[in-house]
Amino acid sequence: MTRAPFTDSPVVTTTVRLLAPFVLTYGLFTLFHGTTSVGGGFQGGVVAAATVITVAFALGIRQTAEWLDGRALAALVVAGPLVFGAVALAGVALGGAFLQLDVLPVPKATVYATEAVEVGIGATVAAVVVVLFVRIADGYAEPVADPSADADGAVRPVRPAEVGSDD
Amino acid sequence: MTAGLEAALSVVLLAFVLAVAAFTAVVRDVLTAVVVFAAYSLGLAMVWVLYRAPDVGLTEAAVGAGVTTALFLLAISQTVRPASERVLVDRRSVRPRSVLVAGAATGGLLLTVPALPPVGASETPAFGSVAAFYLTDAAARGVDNAVTAVLVVYRGFDTFGEVAVVFAAAVAVLAVLGREVVA
Repeated sequence: MTRAPFTDSPVVTTTVRLLAPFVLTYGLFTLFHGTTSVGGGFQGGVVAAATVITVAFALGIRQTAEWLDGRALAALVVAGPLVFGAVALAGVALGGAFLQLDVLPVPKATVYATEAVEVGIGATVAAVVVVLFVRIADGYAEPVADPSADADGAVRPVRPAEVGSDD
Repeated sequence: MTAGLEAALSVVLLAFVLAVAAFTAVVRDVLTAVVVFAAYSLGLAMVWVLYRAPDVGLTEAAVGAGVTTALFLLAISQTVRPASERVLVDRRSVRPRSVLVAGAATGGLLLTVPALPPVGASETPAFGSVAAFYLTDAAARGVDNAVTAVLVVYRGFDTFGEVAVVFAAAVAVLAVLGREVVA
């Protein structure tokens, strides 16, 4: 079998390699500057996750999925509810109401509490989008460049679970 | 931007969104439908920016045009589609009854439009005393983006619930797929 992977186009891979750092930077900027400019945790997290998805489409979904650290992803998924809950309960602990942000003992408490919540939201949203993408891609077989192969429907997607190579 | 240019731009964008939405519904090939649907989302994102809702526009562009399209593409890559049919729109697959129902629903919704206040009207609830309080109080607290202030500072319960929903989505997908490993 000498079929070249469909993802080997140098135009696509080079473009993604060049653009990905800038897109990720924009996502993180949106995430961290939610209190002063457009965006916030949801938007920044989705843009950051879109970087991973773009890289996966260009350089191979299977390879990208293997490169991802499952434990780090799981930690990011729970970060949002944990941070939000901690900030909310900190208000109660300091004599305020649930989710009362301005009683926290830091300067500009509302701003920094909001930033913390936004970063937590961004982590959860980005990680959840990546998890959904990777898990939906489970049954995905990388397409091949040979056009005669899929014209007759001979190419069957190979499920990695059946191959039994991961976890 | 002058008002005339803005009106012309919104007419063009809304016409584009309408045309692309209709095309998404009638197009034969699923892959084409997904790509056209992404164009619909992108057009809608520009409409939001034009109507001064850049936060919503950014979300629409990132989620609607970006991530959703990627997930759709992955999903349909696991389906089989007939390679022989190369028609863009198959008239037989567009059922007159469906067109009638969709047209009736759209017409019914359009009948309610005259009841809405004009865009930017000062007597709408959006310009009430609560909005004035949010705008001045958020600025006094140092949160300059009023959208973020409403989401986290004033409507924290809602946003907490939203994060819980996003978290639950990941948990539910992993549970349904029977996978305990996230990646």
